This record gives sequence, C-alpha cells and structure tokens, in this order.
Amino acid sequence: MLPDGRPLHRWTLRNARGARVDISDLGATLLSWQAPDRQGQLGEVLLGHPDAAHYLAANAFMGGIVGRWANRIRGGRFELDGIEHRIDRNDGNNHLHGGHDGFHARAWDVDPDGDGLLLNLVSPEGDGGFPGEVRVQLRVSLDDDGALELRYEATTDAPTPLSLTAHPYFNLNDRRPDIRDHVIRIDAEEFFAANAEAIPTDRQHVSGTAFDFREPAPIGSRLHWPDPQLRLAGGFDHCYVPRGAVGNAPRVVAVVSEPSSGRRLTVETDRAGLQFYSGQKLGGQVNRDGHPYSAFAGFALEAEAFPNQVNMPGIAEAAILRPGATYRQLTRYRLDTL
Amino acid sequence: MAPHRIALLFNANKVYDRQVIAGIGHYLNSTRVEWDLFLEEDFRSRMRDIHQFKGDGVIADFDDPEAEDALRELHIPVVAVGGSYEDPADYPVGVPYIATDNARLVRLAYDHLIEQGLSRFALYGVPSAAGNRWAREREHAFQRIIAAEKVEGIVYEGSPTSAGGWGEAVEHLVEWLSGLPKPIGIIAVTDARARQLLQACVIGGIAVPEQIAIVGIDNDPMAQLLNRIPLTSVIQGAEEMGRTAAHVLHQMLRGMDCSTTRVIVPPVGINVQVSSRFQPMRSPHVMRASHYIRQYGCLGIKTEQVADYVGVSRTVLEEHFKRELKQTVHQAILKHKLDTACDLIVNGDTTLADIAIRCGFTSLQYMYAVFRREYDCTPRQYLETHRKTAAT
Repeated sequence: MLPDGRPLHRWTLRNARGARVDISDLGATLLSWQAPDRQGQLGEVLLGHPDAAHYLAANAFMGGIVGRWANRIRGGRFELDGIEHRIDRNDGNNHLHGGHDGFHARAWDVDPDGDGLLLNLVSPEGDGGFPGEVRVQLRVSLDDDGALELRYEATTDAPTPLSLTAHPYFNLNDRRPDIRDHVIRIDAEEFFAANAEAIPTDRQHVSGTAFDFREPAPIGSRLHWPDPQLRLAGGFDHCYVPRGAVGNAPRVVAVVSEPSSGRRLTVETDRAGLQFYSGQKLGGQVNRDGHPYSAFAGFALEAEAFPNQVNMPGIAEAAILRPGATYRQLTRYRLDTL
Repeated sequence: MAPHRIALLFNANKVYDRQVIAGIGHYLNSTRVEWDLFLEEDFRSRMRDIHQFKGDGVIADFDDPEAEDALRELHIPVVAVGGSYEDPADYPVGVPYIATDNARLVRLAYDHLIEQGLSRFALYGVPSAAGNRWAREREHAFQRIIAAEKVEGIVYEGSPTSAGGWGEAVEHLVEWLSGLPKPIGIIAVTDARARQLLQACVIGGIAVPEQIAIVGIDNDPMAQLLNRIPLTSVIQGAEEMGRTAAHVLHQMLRGMDCSTTRVIVPPVGINVQVSSRFQPMRSPHVMRASHYIRQYGCLGIKTEQVADYVGVSRTVLEEHFKRELKQTVHQAILKHKLDTACDLIVNGDTTLADIAIRCGFTSLQYMYAVFRREYDCTPRQYLETHRKTAAT
C-alpha cells in the first residue's frame, strides 16, 4: 500500500523454463527475477528492498523504471528552443533520474496484455521541472529463452528531453552477495570520462584503459588497475558508447557471466548509451531481509541516452521528444546459462 | 621514438603461461603500443642472464623462485606475475604483482562439487618444491574451506612425476583412491594431476563420476586430449593477467609509480564436462556399466560386452537400466555416441566422415540415418542450428 492508502499490486510473468519475474505497479519496478542456474535450480538475480516504504525512501532506484531523464543533467538546467529550464537537483548540484519524485516512485497503471504486461504512466506538465505532459506506455514480456523485453513508447504535448531506462541491479550468483567475480564484456570502443560528480567530461577510446571490456574480464580485478577515473568514482559508474547503429533493431551491448552459477546475462538495446555501474555505493541499502547490502552487492547496466546529453552541443536535439513524434525504445535483458 | 624493449620471462610451454603472454599480446594490439618483445626462442626463461638485458622493462613469472633475486638488481620497471598468497607478507616488496587467485580457483571447484550433491571432498596436490608455491596455496585454501564448512576433506600430495618412479606412484595413487570413502569429489591442483587421477580410476576400476567426481584447474586442451573421460576444469583468468601486467608496465614506462599495485585475478569460468557430472545412482551395475560405456562407447561395443564387464547377465543388466535410466543398454550406448558426435560437430573442425568413424558409427550414411531418426535433421543442419545459437 502507498502512504496515501492506494493499494499496490505485484504482477508475475513466467516462462516455460520455470523462470519468473515479479513487477510492481509502484515505479513499474522489477521486484524479483528467479532464473535457473547451470543445474536448473531457480535463484534470485535481482537486488530488492523488503517493502514499498523502503522503495520510496531509498535512493538506489532499485529495479525501477527511471524517467523523465535517466542519469544526470549538469546543474539541473538545460536550454530548449531558446528557453532555459531548471529541473530538480537531487544529486548535489545536479539532476539525477527524474528528480525528487521520478517515474520509479509513481503508481503506474498495469494491465495484462497477452503473455505480457502493459504499464502506463502520465507525467504531468512540470513534472520534476520538465516541460510538457508526457504519456508513457511500457510493454514488458518474458519469453521462453529467458529474455525480459521492455518496449517503451511515449508522446508529449510540448518539447521535452526524454530518456527512459530500467534500473535493475543484478547479482547472478544468489549464493554470494558480491558481484566482483562476475565476468563482463561490453561491446564499446568508447566511453565518457567523467568528473567527480559523474558528469561526462570527454569521450575517449577505451583502448589501453581499465574500461576496455571488448574482451571479457572479471569486474573485481579491473577495479585495482591504476586508473584515475576509477579512483574518482570508486569503481565503474560510466557511460559507454556501444558500437552499432542507434534507433534501429537492438544490438547486443553487454554480456555478463558468473562462473560459479553458470548464469549469463545478455543486454540488447537500441539506445546510444550504456551506463555501467559496479555498485560501489550500495553499502547500507536495505535488502529483502531488512539487512544492509554491502558495496558491490550488485551491478547495473542502464540503456539510455548519454548523461547530460541535453547540454552536449550537436547531439542535444537527439534527446528531445517533440509533439507529433513518438519515442520508441527496445531493451532486452536475457538470462541463460553457459 | 624507438619502441621499448621488453623481456617476457616465462616458461611458456604450459597453457597458463601462454595465455598470460596472449593477454600481453591482446593489450599491445588493442593499444598500438609498440614493444620490441624479447623471449627466449625455446620459450624458457633464463633468469640468471637477465642482468645483462639492455632493455626498458620486464614482465616475469614470479612463481619461478629465482625471479625475485635475479631481478632485484635490475634498475628498470619490473612487473611480477604469479600465484596469490594468503599471507600478504609472502608477496615480493616494491614490485607490482599480478596474481591468479589461488583461493578462488579452489573455491569455484569446491562450489561446483557441492552443487553436484557431493558431501565428501579431497584435494590431490603435488609434493612441495621450490617452483610450486601456488600448489601449497591451493592446498591451504582447500583446508580453510573444509574447516570453515565443517565437511570431510582429505589431502593427498602423491609423488613427484618422474619416469622412473612412475609405476610405483600410480600404484600408490590407485591405493589411495580405492581406500577413499565414496562417493567423493576430488579437486586436482592442475589438469596434469587430474589426468593422473582419471588414469588411476581406470586402472582401479573406479567409476568416474559416479564414485569419484573430478575437477582440475587450467582447462588445458592437452590434458583433455589424453583422457577418455572429458575433464571438468576451472579456467584461470590468465589472459586478463597478461593484459593487466602489460597495462601496469605501460603506465610505469610513462613514469607512474606502481610499486604497490597488486591485482588478484579471479577465475573466469569452469568448463563442465562428464568427470564431475555426479548423479547419485542406486545400482552399482548401472554405475559400472555407465563407466564402461563412457570409456569405450565409441569403439563399437555391444550390450554383451558391457554385461561381461559388469559381471552380470544381459537380462539382469537390462532390468537395472530400465529401472534406473528408463532406457536399454543399447540406447545408452547410442546416446553416448550421439552426444560425442554432437560435441565434435559443434566444437571442432573435424569432418563429418571422421566424426562418424570416431564415434563408432559404421558409416557416414548410418550416422545420417541415426540423426534423422533421433533429431529429425541431418548432421549438417544440426551444426547450422547450433552455430547460430552460439553466435546470437
């Protein structure tokens, strides 16, 4: 139940292999994903809080759908068609993930739709400081190959930045509360170096840096490479520029495997950016049993526009939705075993 | 600027060292960093001459006990590669160290055996020698796990491998294996040691994995070739170690102080094969028969030979198979042949005609007929669908 007394629901998707995904209408949040390991044993692969109150009080965006703007906007301001807009500043001086009351904290309308779910949200004019009324529809389904598909559509009645993402934290090994033995591959030649506030500063080639995951590598040992960007962020919290065309059919952007359970996560998306966060600041977040998570308890791979793209000359317009146009996004998280 | 001259001091005749060097190569190719690499042409490092090296940097195998002393007087950047240590005092001082995580290698093997449903464990090590401190570390890691989890665990170091004493060493190994409580899971500190276990199990008539499940470390294709029973093995992050060592040396050549850098690389996977796929079986006849089929199933054996090996009549054996595996002995043999053929089709570059022969099908036509019947496709179609799955 929400603080104002409205009831909340938990929806479940299942597939033929016994996997199940639970979704809440609060924040369209992915509450749980039970997936088989190498032996066929089901286990939890998502981090989560005990109840709705914790989801509303916490600041980890755990499992939620993030909007209107996934990631950060420098100084909580941007200019659009010559008008300066000021939006919520909820991460120091910057805007993060939709502001004080983003999409992840709203009650979505949920309806079953064939073998999936249809989730709807109306974001009113001025939401978080953003212009225009935005209508978002998200279709979520789970197929028999273990792919959770998120198909977003949105329209607006006034120009506005829009970048949506799902924010699940994964730990593919339900027996070990630490993701540093996970092995990650990211199909990207470039990433954005960032300042101490995690705002991108410049776009760099990954070669010769700790950010080069074109060949799979364990996350944990990379954290110890001598690299000023890693020191600054305490780990990975950086946006990659995956190879391949944006806005067309989704391409594979990342694959993460966990040797012990044998589980493997493949991320496909049509977005321009992929934020990789290694979970260094998760310490103290409350887990499902009411105990604190440790740092590196989970990792996130967020498919979205580039952080602060609305303030990047030349590419800001690509992150703007205008009346008459439809925002379309497709991201898949597929879980199988090695 | 002239390329830096870098010496790689490894005994690159083993898969692990070769993977480390491959990782160094990956790093260089990905960065267009030009290094003039110095390696002895027989891929063996000679630490004693290294003080004469007129170069800019060294990446060296610090599992070699001579390395630390030989490189101490060298006033150019050195990056050490070796095994991890439980006691931080065991690491060399003042040198960046890139390690394979010995404790995690053993942990991954142990977790795998636990998940197979085993509750008794052993570790097959090697006798202590100067160049194998890593083996000691793996042994200690195993002892820490079994102490922490309060399970039964036995350590056997066996004998050193030498041509002369080998016959006797095998006898002792068979004796040790026979005396173990069963079923049991054994972690071998390397694939070379795991291979000796598999051999001893064949000699001693011990069923793998039903009585003894085995996990090695290295995922060495050579060890794999020499076994009838495919070996489960933990894959070390050796390439990543090479990339890491190259990156650290690269930073040192640019003037960064990395003398306290220590990067411990965990394993990157486990190649799960038959040797550890333990399934509790009730019938000792089925167990012995399965063991025999796994070894000789592709050599054209028939039900009679299996029954002879087990020492019971055909009827009795068929009855046990029906009850336990819900199939006939003939079907079990055929399944083994098909599984082997499918593996070869998907993984190798062997021709279909060779596969038919190697898997004990009398002809290519017969293999086609069996594929048609069992999978409703040709071997070639099987390859295409499975290649596709692997690529997407």
